[in-house]
Amino acid sequence: MNQIWTQRLLLLVALLLAALYLFPLYWMYVTSLKTGSEIFATPPGLTPANPQWGVFGYVWELRGMGRFLWNSVVIAFGTMMLTAILGTGCAYVLARYRNFWIDVALFLVLMLQVLPASLMITPIFVGFAQLGLLNYPQLAVVLAITAKAMPFFVVLVRASFMSVPTELEEAALVDGNSRAGAFWSIVLPLARNGILVSAILIFMQAFGEFVYSKSMIPAVELQPASVGLNAFMGPNTTEWNNIMAYATIYVTPILAAFVILQRRIVSGLTSGALK
Amino acid sequence: MTIRFGLVGAIALATTSLLTLGPAMAQDEVTITIWSLDDANQPALNLAREFDEQEPGIKVEYREIQFDDVVSEAMRAFATGQAPDIIAVDNPEHALFAARGAFLDITDKIANSDVIDPANYFPGPLNSVTWDGKLYGVPKATNTIALYYNKDLYAKAGITEPPKTWDELVEVSRKLNDPANNVYGLAFSAKANEEGTFQFLPWAQMGGGGYDNINAPGAVKALEIWKTILDEKLASPDTLTRGQWDSTGTFNSGNAAQVISGPWELNRMLEEAKFDWGVALLPTETEGGTRSSAMGDFNWAIFASTQHPDEAFKALEYFASQDDRLFPEFGQLPARSDVALPETGVALKDAALKVFLEQLQYAQARGPHPEWPKISKAIQDAIQQALTGQASPQAALDQAAATIDGILGQ
Amino acid sequence: MNRLLSSLRDGKGFDIVLVTVPLLFLIALSGLPLIYNVVMSFQEVDMFSLGTFARPWVGFKNYIAVFSAPETWPIMRNTAVFVVCSIAGQFLLGFGLALFFTQKFPGASYIRGLFLASWVMPGLVVGAIWNWILAGDFGVLNYVLKSIGIISENIFWRSDTNWSLWAVIIANIWLGTAFNMILLAVGLAGIPRDLYEAAELDGANGWQRFWTITLPMMRATIGAVISLGLIFTLQQFDLFAAITSGGPANSSNVAQYWAWEQSFRQYDFAKGSTISVVMIAVVMIASVIYVRSTRHEVRG
Repeated sequence: MNQIWTQRLLLLVALLLAALYLFPLYWMYVTSLKTGSEIFATPPGLTPANPQWGVFGYVWELRGMGRFLWNSVVIAFGTMMLTAILGTGCAYVLARYRNFWIDVALFLVLMLQVLPASLMITPIFVGFAQLGLLNYPQLAVVLAITAKAMPFFVVLVRASFMSVPTELEEAALVDGNSRAGAFWSIVLPLARNGILVSAILIFMQAFGEFVYSKSMIPAVELQPASVGLNAFMGPNTTEWNNIMAYATIYVTPILAAFVILQRRIVSGLTSGALK
Repeated sequence: MTIRFGLVGAIALATTSLLTLGPAMAQDEVTITIWSLDDANQPALNLAREFDEQEPGIKVEYREIQFDDVVSEAMRAFATGQAPDIIAVDNPEHALFAARGAFLDITDKIANSDVIDPANYFPGPLNSVTWDGKLYGVPKATNTIALYYNKDLYAKAGITEPPKTWDELVEVSRKLNDPANNVYGLAFSAKANEEGTFQFLPWAQMGGGGYDNINAPGAVKALEIWKTILDEKLASPDTLTRGQWDSTGTFNSGNAAQVISGPWELNRMLEEAKFDWGVALLPTETEGGTRSSAMGDFNWAIFASTQHPDEAFKALEYFASQDDRLFPEFGQLPARSDVALPETGVALKDAALKVFLEQLQYAQARGPHPEWPKISKAIQDAIQQALTGQASPQAALDQAAATIDGILGQ
Repeated sequence: MNRLLSSLRDGKGFDIVLVTVPLLFLIALSGLPLIYNVVMSFQEVDMFSLGTFARPWVGFKNYIAVFSAPETWPIMRNTAVFVVCSIAGQFLLGFGLALFFTQKFPGASYIRGLFLASWVMPGLVVGAIWNWILAGDFGVLNYVLKSIGIISENIFWRSDTNWSLWAVIIANIWLGTAFNMILLAVGLAGIPRDLYEAAELDGANGWQRFWTITLPMMRATIGAVISLGLIFTLQQFDLFAAITSGGPANSSNVAQYWAWEQSFRQYDFAKGSTISVVMIAVVMIASVIYVRSTRHEVRG
């Protein structure tokens, strides 16, 4: 009996905390449904008096969001793949050994990401221009974001590899597997969840990337949704309801995916399948 | 497997979309690129499309850039050989490019042109495209600032006419200020960007100062007046971080009784303001004192790196030939004295236009100086330090003057 | 040739390939730009010479200019306050939530999922939303605080020099809490349950178990979370751009925003680079601390 009440109390506290924490998100949804003058009303209304559901279809059409979102998906997918390919091996090696050089490599991986994209963009732009990469703007953006996202991926995936016992790999080697074979058939499957989940997180980060895309993709047809949103926002805007509607369309699918997948994400990151 | 497919897919996709972007080019067709901040409701995009259609041999690629990004994007592109052929740049930043030879000297082209005649342009805008006696562009449009006031709130407060002097402005704002109903007496922008400089310089100039004499006694007095307005909360404290467009938004919604802003607000105000309003000249330091105002808006320029200077100039000629459409269609003021502005038939708009045209006669260009951003920053810093109480107006402007002298002395 | 191939498949070569390819990639895409910044900080840079390295060298002149500017120390102080308070706030809230959600109650994992929302939001959108919430005259935060009686007059979060930095810190804590929570939750899940059971048998109370089991076992995770947090916090740029633009009067300006402002508003690329090099130096120290903390990691 007592235990049930404790549980209910915990649930209540959890709901309250979530409500408090998610208020900014709620505010985005509410603002998108308000009319223009309602937005500036004092005191602000906590619910829209007359929800404008049509705003989503209107903004979708007006801003041509289908193409923007597709570009975001392309860029995010490319980034995720490239990061996973390059980062997984790196994380594995960094997890397998402990010596001075590994420390140096780990240090480098972290160190290289100190500056915000807004400061990295000029040198990257100059370099890409000289290599001719700017003629392939989406590829250029994928490369730049991958560099930015890599350390995060490596740190997370390295933790997954750490939880794979060395004994299993050694046993596989004794059984006649090559290093590559053991990595491919034993270690990788065991760390699979962690890799998958970290890749999804990279996808989500790349989905929202803005600074590189804005500078390197001049053609509207190739720009992702973040750049489209920025162009929509401009300094001279009053269309906050439409902007919030755009933001809503932009983030809701990814939020939904995240909430649905979150159990797997947490368990994937622990990936202590052998614990 | 999926991994390989994904990467190949992404690359293939990037390549194909690139190919579709540049469709098979017809022989001899010349492509010129235009960068401007105008969107579909503003002139540049529309004029660029028209030009594209009427010139079979020229293909126009238009890119919309945000106000804040114009200079940095342009510089980066120019430094790496990716510059567009034509760009629209804010007038105080024109000299930054012109002085370094990044823009094409079009003095001779203009001299031979049947369409563009420098004599037709207002001196302020023309001055901003001029560097070292040569022309490096064509003014795109012009604007200035004046005082909008809410006639309904004036009537309620028993005020019959707009303020003529700075002291009257403070006095009137005090009467109009009504915190209980969320109404501020005045709205303007003291934001730490070019907008703050744009709004403050006219005051400094009315007070006998200027960017090269920013601590003149009249300029100090102007900043003291600004400080009084903020200290007494006659204007929202967010004046410090809010741009002109947002500040005017509070006027339109009835939360500020007056606002200092420009003609670019007219169309929106007609739509949003649910009250009677008027426009007055900026108040001067003393009754009948020196008038001054800011001169805003963009200029067209051709990058020196262009491969097609003749086609690019042809585009500028087309844009200039359409200047008479700027006001009726887009609500912007042409920078020319020879373009008559027809009555629009909207009484409020026509009355406002008259005031802005008069105010425009007093408009002074910022600079031109290739280090304008640094000069402007010194002025913004002084404004912000004084208004936040970190320094007295005198001390803040003295420091700005010292900084600016250092820049001008170079 | 054969030896090389077999080493690639079955020896040190395998590890070396796995680690060098991504490192080369990172060095090309992140290292070279950093070097470019470092080089620029010793040069006189002109906006039109961005595409070349051939620029006049000026030695430490830019550094002297930066360290003698009157705004330098206030901005460094702001940066320190921003980083320390953001990380502390994110970490404490994140840890608290992670611990809270280890309790067993119905729906715990779903509600925890909701908290992750802030993490996947694009910075641009988060900035716009907070800008909106924190507005002085019609912002909802002021309204709520006033209705529950915490404040009697509107706080101008963005324009009051006493609050502007905190406006960004609040938004940044909101943004980063989810990230801290999930990584710490992962760490918590990795602690073997039998440790707790054994401690309980020994009569240790919850508090003692936290100090003697949870914290020591979480050491590596905490190290990773805090160093990643440091990097994310130092990279935070969108929120400054959206909420205060570093103002008013630099009261909410921090090193990374200042560097950007110098480069892209004043077009003083040398000064901007110099500031970012100073930042890198600070972060190098932090990275050393992280790497040292990983020494204590337990395997398996």
